[in-house]
Amino acid sequence: MRALGPGSVSSFLKIILDVSYYVLWIWVSLLALVTILVLLLSFNTDLLTSILPSELAEPLAKNGPGSAAALAGWALMSGGWMAIVERLRKIFATMTLGDPFHPENVRRLRVVGGILAALEVGRYVFAALTRVLIDGEKVVDGSFTLNAWFSVLVVFVLAEVFREGARLRREAELTI
Amino acid sequence: MSIRVNLDRVLLERRMSLTELSDRVGVTIANLSILKTGKARAIRFSTLDALCRELNCQPGDLMTFEHGPGEGHDED
Repeated sequence: MRALGPGSVSSFLKIILDVSYYVLWIWVSLLALVTILVLLLSFNTDLLTSILPSELAEPLAKNGPGSAAALAGWALMSGGWMAIVERLRKIFATMTLGDPFHPENVRRLRVVGGILAALEVGRYVFAALTRVLIDGEKVVDGSFTLNAWFSVLVVFVLAEVFREGARLRREAELTI
Repeated sequence: MSIRVNLDRVLLERRMSLTELSDRVGVTIANLSILKTGKARAIRFSTLDALCRELNCQPGDLMTFEHGPGEGHDED
């Protein structure tokens, strides 16, 4: 199987990363827009009742700020995913240029690991906050998942592997 | 690093330029400069072999070990 070029696994992964990146951009923008709208509408109950039926307007007016906070949390988490995908795209770009052990990739992988860890902690906080803000409603599952922390560990191990790769690359550059 | 490269001295003794040596051993001038200025991290046996053959010298003529503060440690 080809490592690079059309029809290779890497080209397939590149398409997935590119599509994910642009889909996440749209998703985060939409979420941010809806968050602002919900926040603005929740403070204007008169406008809400005039444009929405009362059975919809009342709960929205009551839970508006909480819902806006929940949506903002979703937007932040999606932003984290976007940041991860952006770094993966940059790592991939160095690979397609034939230089995967670029020293910058070590930092990128560490950032990815850090974001994954922050997203996991953020999920616990987000779940607890939304439960308090939206009348005990369970919007997000805030239970501990070992898989997520295992992924964080894998990324940090890979970052160390890349650091050693970058060191070997530097040595190879100065081998005459 | 405590290894000192004496390529410039050997070249001077042989009255040979870096460009000429580069042509003879097939190593770029840039890489020979790295070697000459002591910035190289390692040298291949094939390069050392070519240098010794073209300069008609021993590996010990090209490099010497000097006790220094960084002894036993690589400078990163």
